[in-house]
Amino acid sequence: MKKIWIFCVAFLATVTMMMGITKVDAAQPNYIITTDATYPPFDFQDKNNQYTGIDQEILKTIAKREGFTYTLKPMSFNAATQSVTSGQADAVIAGMSITDERKQVFDFGTPYYKSGIAWAVKKGSAIKSLQDLKGKTVAIKTGTAGADYALSIQKKYGFKVTYFSDSDTLYNDVINGNSQATFGDLPVLQYTIKNGTKLKVMNPTNPYEAGWYGFAVKKGDNAQLLASFNKGFAAIKKDGTYQKIVNKYLGAPASEFTGSKSDNSSVFGILKSNENAFMKGLWQTILLTLFGIILASIWGILLGIMGVSQNSVIRGISTTIIYIFRGMPLMVLAFFIYIGLPGVIGTKIPAFTAGVITLILNEGAYTGAFVRGGFKAVDKGQMEAARSLGFTYGKSMYKVIMPQGLKIMVPSFINQFIITLKDTSILSAIGILELTQTGTLIVSRNSQGFRVWAIIAVIYLVVITLLTWFSNWVEKRTRS
Amino acid sequence: MSEAQVKVHVDKVNKSYGENHVLRDISLDIAENEVVVMIGPSGSGKSTFLRMLNQLETPDNGTIIVDGYDISDKNTDINKVRENIGMVFQNFNLFNNYTVLENIMLAPVELKKLDKVAAEKKARELLETVGLSDKADMPVSSLSGGQKQRIAIARALAMTPDIMLFDEPTSALDPEMVGDVLDVMKNLAESGMTMIIVTHEMGFAKQVADRVVFFESGKIQESGTPDQVFDAPKNERLQEFLSKVTHA
Repeated sequence: MKKIWIFCVAFLATVTMMMGITKVDAAQPNYIITTDATYPPFDFQDKNNQYTGIDQEILKTIAKREGFTYTLKPMSFNAATQSVTSGQADAVIAGMSITDERKQVFDFGTPYYKSGIAWAVKKGSAIKSLQDLKGKTVAIKTGTAGADYALSIQKKYGFKVTYFSDSDTLYNDVINGNSQATFGDLPVLQYTIKNGTKLKVMNPTNPYEAGWYGFAVKKGDNAQLLASFNKGFAAIKKDGTYQKIVNKYLGAPASEFTGSKSDNSSVFGILKSNENAFMKGLWQTILLTLFGIILASIWGILLGIMGVSQNSVIRGISTTIIYIFRGMPLMVLAFFIYIGLPGVIGTKIPAFTAGVITLILNEGAYTGAFVRGGFKAVDKGQMEAARSLGFTYGKSMYKVIMPQGLKIMVPSFINQFIITLKDTSILSAIGILELTQTGTLIVSRNSQGFRVWAIIAVIYLVVITLLTWFSNWVEKRTRS
Repeated sequence: MSEAQVKVHVDKVNKSYGENHVLRDISLDIAENEVVVMIGPSGSGKSTFLRMLNQLETPDNGTIIVDGYDISDKNTDINKVRENIGMVFQNFNLFNNYTVLENIMLAPVELKKLDKVAAEKKARELLETVGLSDKADMPVSSLSGGQKQRIAIARALAMTPDIMLFDEPTSALDPEMVGDVLDVMKNLAESGMTMIIVTHEMGFAKQVADRVVFFESGKIQESGTPDQVFDAPKNERLQEFLSKVTHA
């Protein structure tokens, strides 16, 4: 038992040191810029797992010209915009339409792309006009201009709406017939269709509410970054670079960015062409899991010990902490820590750290509950016997109650480890590039939902099987 | 009885659980080397009284002096006092996470800072005394009830206590196991240990006790030598109790 703890502590120390070394200060200003992870042709990962697209090339070109560097944080559109308003990031470029409502919280740069809202249905659908949508379901992406537009005409045409946070799942929902139509930005829909998604745009020539996309910073902040962007944009517009970028993405065949057909049409091809991405995602998942398991167990055992304390105040604190964090959905907690908290405490929290804290608090609360239960399950006579010999309460706990309680808890611990591993997938919501987020990105590029998710599912099963074997081995060791 | 001989001095102790007044103005002195057996119907307060002598229960008021320490005083280090009071429970309460030998060695090593070699030597001697030398390295779960109780006695004795408390030590045993445990207790009594025993074994009480104390309704109704209590009971309730016990 002791050896296992020593191993865990040494592991954590090593990894923490490794992570600390990677941060190097630069003389140039370095900004954190968020983007939508799945928004082709503006923002997406290409076949080499590099973020690219119209937005990304514009940003890269301007940064080079104007002499600033940035760290790109791809996440869901909503998280990308909220990260900026909460101060976690400096700017967002994510095919974001400039609206009056958004102008109240963002300062926009020079509008860089004219777009509009289009609606699309499944290829071969019987729906011909907006009137046909009566009683049907429309899929929309949370927080987008397309969603706002759909909601504004919802009453008039009498359809229901269903929300998604990433585009690919949304398109598949329409293709699979769960919903019958979607509203989105015209160039995005067109690019997707060109890429093989079986949808049909209903108003390709006359988009609704034609408007402009803008690069945005939090209102009142980062004026220098905004000025640099505007200056650079004016320059690339003038010298024709801008038009070249747009043509490159809207004119080129899709395979240029998404990989050849053979790379995408078989499980082996997908595995081979995305080997790096899968390995990186898996490593992040494993890191999150290990940090989560070890730290949440320590925190949980502490909560459990507090929960059987002789002092009613300490017991109350433990009960309250367990009550709060067990009662809160993991994703809400992740958003609260990553997006909510920095605005209040005034410091940025890296996504990985936020993710680990989320796991500690959530999994730790569950662990605390079963640890407390395990200690209480030890026969009361054991404590009385220890006390009658002259042991203090603390020593009785340590020498007699805890070893027996922990033995009772071993199956609960193994169960909690597996849950923790699976729960790391929820942290994809705050943009951590773990296995699930990796899957989302690959699917958004190659539209091979079935094959990619099957691969991801198998990887999870393999890791969980290994974890279970390891846990059972540990359990056997503690038995003997 | 002179001051020096008094091992346990209890004066006007009361205890209530809510409405239930379990002990009413109990006073009792017990001398060194004395074996006191407490009898009485269930719920009469005898177990509660016993558990107060090492503060597993605390009195509402009154004074309890054990081994020269006033344990009703909050400033007394109860853990130190308990080291000199052995206790044997109805349900044995052996530590399930240790072997037989480890159960006996734990307290001397941890509390008296005895080195492991000396502690083990002593533990093996005690195992021989209770007739279970061959069980030293067994997990406690493999023992029978009677064996467990004899190990529990050995565990308490390992701390070389001045006083031993027994809380219905044979009540949870199969009848054929009772004799072995009582034999160990008899030997202990003959060796001069101060013992306070709550039991329903009347035959044992007659044989071993220096004094028998009869509890009923939270009061000591009668006490005296076994001959006085069993053969010439004065108290009406004691007479009633004895007639029930002997008919059973």
